[in-house]
Amino acid sequence: MTSLKAHELLTPPCRLIDQTDLPRVGFRGAHSAEYLTARGFTLPDAPNRATAQADGSWVARLSQNEYLLLGSPADQGQRIADEEARWELDHRAHYLLPRQDSHACVLLSGTVIAQVMAKLCGVDLSFPAFKPGAVAQTAAARINVIVIHSGSVEAPAFHILWDRASKDYFDGALRDALEEFGGVGLADRA
Amino acid sequence: MNRLPAPMGLLIQRDQPLDFSFDGHPYQGLQGDSIASALLANGRFLMSRSFKYHRPRGPLSMAGQDANSLVQLPQEPNVLADAHALSNGLAVTAQNVNGTLDHDRDAYMGKFSKFMPVGFYYRSFYKPKGMWKVWEPIIRKKAGLGVLDLNFQPEYYDKAYLFTDLAVIGAGPAGLQAALTAADAGAKVLLIEQQPILGGSLTYARFDIAGTRADNLRRELLSAVQQHANIQVLTEATCNAWFTDNYLPVIQGKRLYKVRAQQCLVCSGSFDQPVIFRNNDLPGVMLTSAAQRLIKLYAVKPGKRAVVLTGNDDGYLAALDLHDQGVDVAAVVDLRHAPADQALAGALAQRKIRCLTNSTVFEALHEKGLRHVKGVDVRQITAQGQVSDKGQVIDCDLLCMSAGYMPVYQLLCQAGGKLAYEDSRAEFSLSGLPQNLNVAGSVHGRHQLDNVLADASNAAHDIALALGLSPAAARTPLRSEAQVNFNWPIFPHPKGKDFVDFDEDLQVADIVNATRIGYRDVQLVKRYSTVGMGPSQGRHSALPTARLVAWATQRNISETGVTTARPPFVAEKLAHVAGRAFDPYRQTPMHARHLQAGAKMMPAGIWQRPAYYGKAEDRDACMQAEALHVRNKVGLIDVSTLGGLDVRGPDAAELLNRMYTFAFLKQPVGRSRYALMTNEHGVVIDDGVCARLADKHFYVTATTSGVDRIYQQMLKWNAQWRLDVDVANVTAAICAVNVAGPDSRKVLEQLCSDLDLSAEGFPYLGVRQGTVAGIKARLLRVGFVGELGYEIHVAARHGLALWDALMAAGKAFDIRPFGVETQRLLRLEKGHVIISQDTDGMTHPAEIDMGWAVSRNKPFFVGRRSVDILEAQPLKRKLVGFSLPKGSVQPLEGHLVLNGPDISGNVTSCEYSASLGRIIGLAYAGIDQSTPGQCIPIRVEGGIVVQAEVVQLPFFDPTNQRQEG
Amino acid sequence: MKIMMCPLNGPRNISEFTYGGEFKPMPDPVNCSDAEWADYVFNTDNLAGVVREWWMHTPSSYWFLAERHTVTDEILRTFDPKELFTHRVDFNTPQEIAG
Repeated sequence: MTSLKAHELLTPPCRLIDQTDLPRVGFRGAHSAEYLTARGFTLPDAPNRATAQADGSWVARLSQNEYLLLGSPADQGQRIADEEARWELDHRAHYLLPRQDSHACVLLSGTVIAQVMAKLCGVDLSFPAFKPGAVAQTAAARINVIVIHSGSVEAPAFHILWDRASKDYFDGALRDALEEFGGVGLADRA
Repeated sequence: MNRLPAPMGLLIQRDQPLDFSFDGHPYQGLQGDSIASALLANGRFLMSRSFKYHRPRGPLSMAGQDANSLVQLPQEPNVLADAHALSNGLAVTAQNVNGTLDHDRDAYMGKFSKFMPVGFYYRSFYKPKGMWKVWEPIIRKKAGLGVLDLNFQPEYYDKAYLFTDLAVIGAGPAGLQAALTAADAGAKVLLIEQQPILGGSLTYARFDIAGTRADNLRRELLSAVQQHANIQVLTEATCNAWFTDNYLPVIQGKRLYKVRAQQCLVCSGSFDQPVIFRNNDLPGVMLTSAAQRLIKLYAVKPGKRAVVLTGNDDGYLAALDLHDQGVDVAAVVDLRHAPADQALAGALAQRKIRCLTNSTVFEALHEKGLRHVKGVDVRQITAQGQVSDKGQVIDCDLLCMSAGYMPVYQLLCQAGGKLAYEDSRAEFSLSGLPQNLNVAGSVHGRHQLDNVLADASNAAHDIALALGLSPAAARTPLRSEAQVNFNWPIFPHPKGKDFVDFDEDLQVADIVNATRIGYRDVQLVKRYSTVGMGPSQGRHSALPTARLVAWATQRNISETGVTTARPPFVAEKLAHVAGRAFDPYRQTPMHARHLQAGAKMMPAGIWQRPAYYGKAEDRDACMQAEALHVRNKVGLIDVSTLGGLDVRGPDAAELLNRMYTFAFLKQPVGRSRYALMTNEHGVVIDDGVCARLADKHFYVTATTSGVDRIYQQMLKWNAQWRLDVDVANVTAAICAVNVAGPDSRKVLEQLCSDLDLSAEGFPYLGVRQGTVAGIKARLLRVGFVGELGYEIHVAARHGLALWDALMAAGKAFDIRPFGVETQRLLRLEKGHVIISQDTDGMTHPAEIDMGWAVSRNKPFFVGRRSVDILEAQPLKRKLVGFSLPKGSVQPLEGHLVLNGPDISGNVTSCEYSASLGRIIGLAYAGIDQSTPGQCIPIRVEGGIVVQAEVVQLPFFDPTNQRQEG
Repeated sequence: MKIMMCPLNGPRNISEFTYGGEFKPMPDPVNCSDAEWADYVFNTDNLAGVVREWWMHTPSSYWFLAERHTVTDEILRTFDPKELFTHRVDFNTPQEIAG
């Protein structure tokens, strides 16, 4: 039996890393898959799935032909920034989406992050309902968010993306939700 | 303090005394006590006065299910004393009292009950007309409950989702058993219990003569539940409603859990029902289960000498409990002819407890001032609701009553469950529940303990199968069981005070009279008499009311039914519903700069925008100064909130051609065009500009509030049209500023090395891509404010740098930022409409002189047919410019334009213009009023009518030389 | 709160969706009568039974169609509009399209 009454459960603190300034970009169109494959990306085989790349980048598939590329901290997102820079509109149905500018992004990790998100979001983000590699496009704290499970079963981690103009708003909502779980470390508060 | 020895007192900690006070008297209770149990342990039964007659009342249910125990806490009125945990230093007072609880000056009210029938207030105080206003404050004071603490500081309440395979509501024997069976099959189970401990009736009721079964079973079930990893338990948690697809609001402390369960099993049990006789509301008269709760949970002896009035065998078992704990049981009065289990009669006889069958209490006798029960008048039952003329009086200070059980059906009926009354068992049963909602235990009509367990286990078995799991054991057959409800436990007394509803002081005659007046429907009886409308929401009155209405209208009880059960199940605080409020807002990348510059921020949709720069009290001065500055020098405004759509692909122009009224196929690259959108009704819904950046790429702006809807509409239409085009909403990704004023070109020249900014090189309505201060930008020559101006659109990440660069470069030209209100004034001077401010839900293009923006040289646009139909009809109204001399009363938005005795329109925008030295505005007016030079009467604040002159638009720079220069 | 099955995102709270109106064919906007057009624009059938409706999953801006029973509020089926709209629609020649 587990009791939910004891909110003061001792849990390891969550980590919250702001990745808003780490490069990311989106592509959409009938030719996007072909293009990205040619550029060396491994693509998820179904919508709302995400695949880690060997260099630490992530590719999330948001619909039949829309992809979201998250830069890797290892190269400060250089590979993805280059992809954004080299794109141009040509005869192909392959359109760039300025995801670094349209969305804010954090990486939230820790064993209780599903419970943290349950204070904001109506989709069950706990295992096994939401497995590593899963993507949820949903609403949290009354705004649209994209949640990508980029961790593992043992060490869950979510990339959370939302409207960049609401950065301040959702940051506040997220930190408030984290409060009862010990908040986030000082190092992450920058 | 007088407490029974252990093992009585499951909830209390004997070594942790708590001091508290009630109406100023100090008392001591124990950790684990409720306020009510602590008071009763101190011999204090009188806890409140009834709502209408101020009759003394004590606890009825000891389970938080009645209004008798409502008390006042310093910061909170209407607290249930039998549900609220005692804490040290708690200062409790009585409420609804005139004077003191013990000496209530309004106690005389009961004597006038004959003259205060149902509907008395409404019938007596409404005439003559206007009198209610006089009487209302007096009556409200008499009738009010509790006092609010207006200095109360809000506390932190929040909400959280909770996801589970199975939610079990109620952790009595059924709930515990079902949770175990389902969890054993592999289901993730959430067990929700209102009380602080698990076990339900196992914690207080008696199921066998030896009195050992409940405790043994409870230990057994609890240890299994506690060891089970699949079971999550919420105690002191109330499931307050059932919503579609098992969405369950569960309140625990200051949190509202929004439980989402694939399957839901309601094991809510049943409510012990009172017997109706004269003075059945006296302190010392309580439900049998209440007396048992006092003994078992709190080790409180409920009386010295008891009479048990019962309609089933449970009363006999309760008598054994009382006897075991040293209460002298004077008699068991059985409404029936004999107990179902004869062994019980033997057990009473063995203990020399008298048993009177086919009898009832006809009247409870009381001490002076109705302070406490002191005896009962017991009569033989001669027919339904009728008794013998003479009876016997038995002295007692405790009367336990139980007429049977009412299923706790509230959540189930909210889910659409239907109640049917089974005459053979005198009991309601439920049917018609939605899929994935199940029921087990006594709420399901199973009362015999083995049947309860089997029923729960069977329900869990079926649920496991529905979840795709494999239950371990097969279903268990149920045995037949004895009837638990006495079919007519209502004994009206000629002198009344035979209460059906304790909350509202309603007597048998009140209900019967309601039907005589013509209210046959139980819903109407409720609304007329207020039965079931009090805090206990009919938990004890619904069943007798149904029986009385059925009897009085000669129908059966199934036909009569009970009134609708609506959420919430128990009273909930607004704080729980409001919780931690989510109130999203959006800020532009330059937000911090606006604050630093002292901007007065205003909401624009959910965006936060600068209205003007300065203090609120200087609004007009700031705005006028900013406007003149733009007209004479140069200003900078953050227009990042403007909607932005990237429309790309071979069919980009075709899509815009269909969505907007103008023509776009032949629009040259490097030019922008005004874009007006109508809906299928031909009503103007949005506008912006379409900038052609490349043959297959348009950048389209839309209004701040409209862009999301416009984007969605484009996607919806193209889901049908299947054009080869991609639409991306880049509103947040792109931020923008407008540099406007005669010196704007000079400012920009400082920062643009790769662009020809000359009037010829970059003409009005031109579009360029280049760099501004090294930042990649889209530049649009626009004229919204009527000056030479450039909209500069850049990626959001560069917004702050762009702003700073422009402010720095503009310093030499005395650049200053201006706000939204200033921009609105400037565009008003130019007569430019703002869609949704100067248009409404009826406006079509011709009414705002936008016929020029509608192209007929294309086969289709959304709204085309409606626009054609509308324009073929004579125009009824028109948006016109008007003007008033400086110093006139300034009309406000929404003020009416009159045409003789009729209303012909309204003001949509109005402001004083320092550039023009006049008040100017836009308003809808009748066609016959719309010629420049005519006067339109506008009715302003206070009903004054001002005569405004209709003026040709635009007010300012009619040849547009400034913006096109 | 009701749950609706999004063909792209799976079962979600109904609050994640935006209602897009009844699915009904648009009469030929050029050749139909004023009365037919007005009927299309202003009137709905308010049928007691199974209706087809437009719905959008708001967070992903994904439009789809639902078949819903208006009496029981049961959603029988949700599906991608490609099932019904298989080819490009043009307005050069009068024809009936859906709306």
